[in-house]
This record gives sequence, C-alpha cells and structure tokens, in this order.
Amino acid sequence: MRRTAGRALFAAGVLLLFVVAATYALGATHSDAARREWNDEAARRDVASARAATAHGALAPIAIGAPVARLVIPRLDLDEIVLEGVGVAELNAGPGHLPGSAQPGAAGNAIISAHRDRHFRRFDALRIGDTVRTETADGTQAWVIVERRIVDREAPALFRTREPTLTLTTCWPIRLAGPAPERLIVTAKPIPRQAG
Amino acid sequence: MINRRLLVLALVALIPNVAPAQFTTFIPPRDKQKDSAKAAVVAERRQEVARRDSVTTAALTNMKAWVDSAAGAPPLVRADTVTRLGSTIRADSVVRVAKSKETEVNETTTFRNGSPAPATATVLPILALLGGASVAVGAVLLYASRARGA
Repeated sequence: MRRTAGRALFAAGVLLLFVVAATYALGATHSDAARREWNDEAARRDVASARAATAHGALAPIAIGAPVARLVIPRLDLDEIVLEGVGVAELNAGPGHLPGSAQPGAAGNAIISAHRDRHFRRFDALRIGDTVRTETADGTQAWVIVERRIVDREAPALFRTREPTLTLTTCWPIRLAGPAPERLIVTAKPIPRQAG
Repeated sequence: MINRRLLVLALVALIPNVAPAQFTTFIPPRDKQKDSAKAAVVAERRQEVARRDSVTTAALTNMKAWVDSAAGAPPLVRADTVTRLGSTIRADSVVRVAKSKETEVNETTTFRNGSPAPATATVLPILALLGGASVAVGAVLLYASRARGA
C-alpha cells in the first residue's frame, strides 16, 4: 500500500515537473525565435518600409505573437524582445505589448506586461529614477521611471495619455506562489533626445 | 302610572343593548379543503379557456400566413410583434454586453481606457512546488517501504 502510494506520488510529481519544465522550455524557444526574427535585418527593413508606406493611412494591425520591440532595463539586466499580445503563449515567450495601446515612443500610452516568475521576476528592484530603453522599428527611446504603484488586480490601472508614456505591469506580490491579488504598475516618461 | 313610565324607560334603555344580540348569527368556519378544491377547478377551467383561445389565435395566424404565402404576398408583421422582437433582441444584447464586460474585467487582452492590468499570474510556480513536494513525499514513502522490506 505504502509502496503503491509512493510510486503514484512520485509519478505525479515527475509529471507535474515535466509540464512546468516543458512550458518554460517552450517559452524559451519562442523567445529565442523572436529574438532571431528581431535581429534579422531584412525583416526589420520590411517592417520599416511597411510602416513608412502606411504612415499616412491607418496602421495595419500587428499580428499577435509578432515581435514589436526590444526592452532593455539596465538595473534588472533585462534585455527582452517584446511580443504583440498578452495571452498565455506570448507572455510565456516574453514581455507582451497590450494590443490597442501605443507603440513605445509613439504618442500615447505603451503598455508592456510580463510574468513575475519569469521576465519581470526582479521587477520589484525597480526604483523611481531608473532608466529603461525601448527599441522599435521607428527608433530607440530612453525612458525614466516616474511612478510606481500597486493596485488591486481588478482596479482601473491603464489610461490613455496624449504624450508618449511607457507603462510596465506585472503581478504583485512578486514572491507569491498563489494567484496574485494585486498588480505592480510602473510608469515611465521619455527622456528628450539630445540634439547632435 | 309611574310604574308604567318606569317600565317604558327601562325598555328604551335596554333595547339597544339587547338588539345587537338579536342580530348576531353563527358563521361556520371555512372549509379550506373544499375552497382549495374549488380554486383548483376554477384555475383548471381558466387554463383550458386560455389554451383554447391561444390555439384559435394560432390557427387563425397560420391560416393568414398560409393565405399570404399562397398569394405571394410577404407576411405582415404586427406592430406588437416588432416591439416584442425588439425588446427580446435588446435584452439579449444586454446580456451579451454584460457577459463581455465580465470577461474583460477578468482578462484584459486589449487596451481600453481605465482597464485593469493584464493577468500576468501563472500557475506554473504552484505546479512546480506541488510537483517537487509530490516527488519528495513519494521518494520518502518508497524508501520507507524498501527499508521495511529489507
């Protein structure tokens, strides 16, 4: 009886660990693929030319899962490719850009979210005044963090802005195994580019 | 003479007190069983009448639709039907809007002004903990059973 229970528990545990490891591995694979795609110069040129061609008309919607930006946070040693969408698959592979929000650097609020147990696992170390860098097909933008707040998970937290704004979100508390009851919202404003 | 007058006065004074007693009557308690049976019979009759009326109406409506279709004319839609149809659609759409709002509250997948932050929590850490604990307990049990067997 004890042997049977031990075997069953052991097998179930191995299965659970395998599922978790496979999910993380799948995310890492997707992340690598996104990085390769982002680094592909030809793809970048295509994106840039497509953007230029549609600059005067309505922007075509970006496909969910497509790489849209690069996010660099020096304090966290974070350098990740941001994917379009905040679904399970996108957030498993990297930080996700919330569809409908502005692109980083463009006028409006650009919202990027990531899992607290992966890409934003050290997100609680961010402080007001830290810098963030985003890179999109339209150029590179440096940001400075101006606000850091914790809100209830169902509280209104994301708002439209006229000026370029970068909002980074993750679950809070960071070190909690269960469902997170709150969200950590970090807001950054662009650092004006110096002439010359 | 005086006695007669006194007798008349006494009668006049007593009559109002006696009179109500004369008008009182026995009211038997209601037979609840009988009443409920009556009510059931009445309700059944009403239902039967309503059913008959609706069948008649349906038959008439069908007949009219049949005549209209035979004549090649589009069926007329009564104003009250439109109202009912409209209200039905409206109620249905309200339910759908309410449901979609509920979904959006739970999961923010596109940007709306004032929307909550996207759900970034996963069950993977819990699964990993459970898996690790399960493996550990299972290993202990297996080790204990082997030690006992040896």
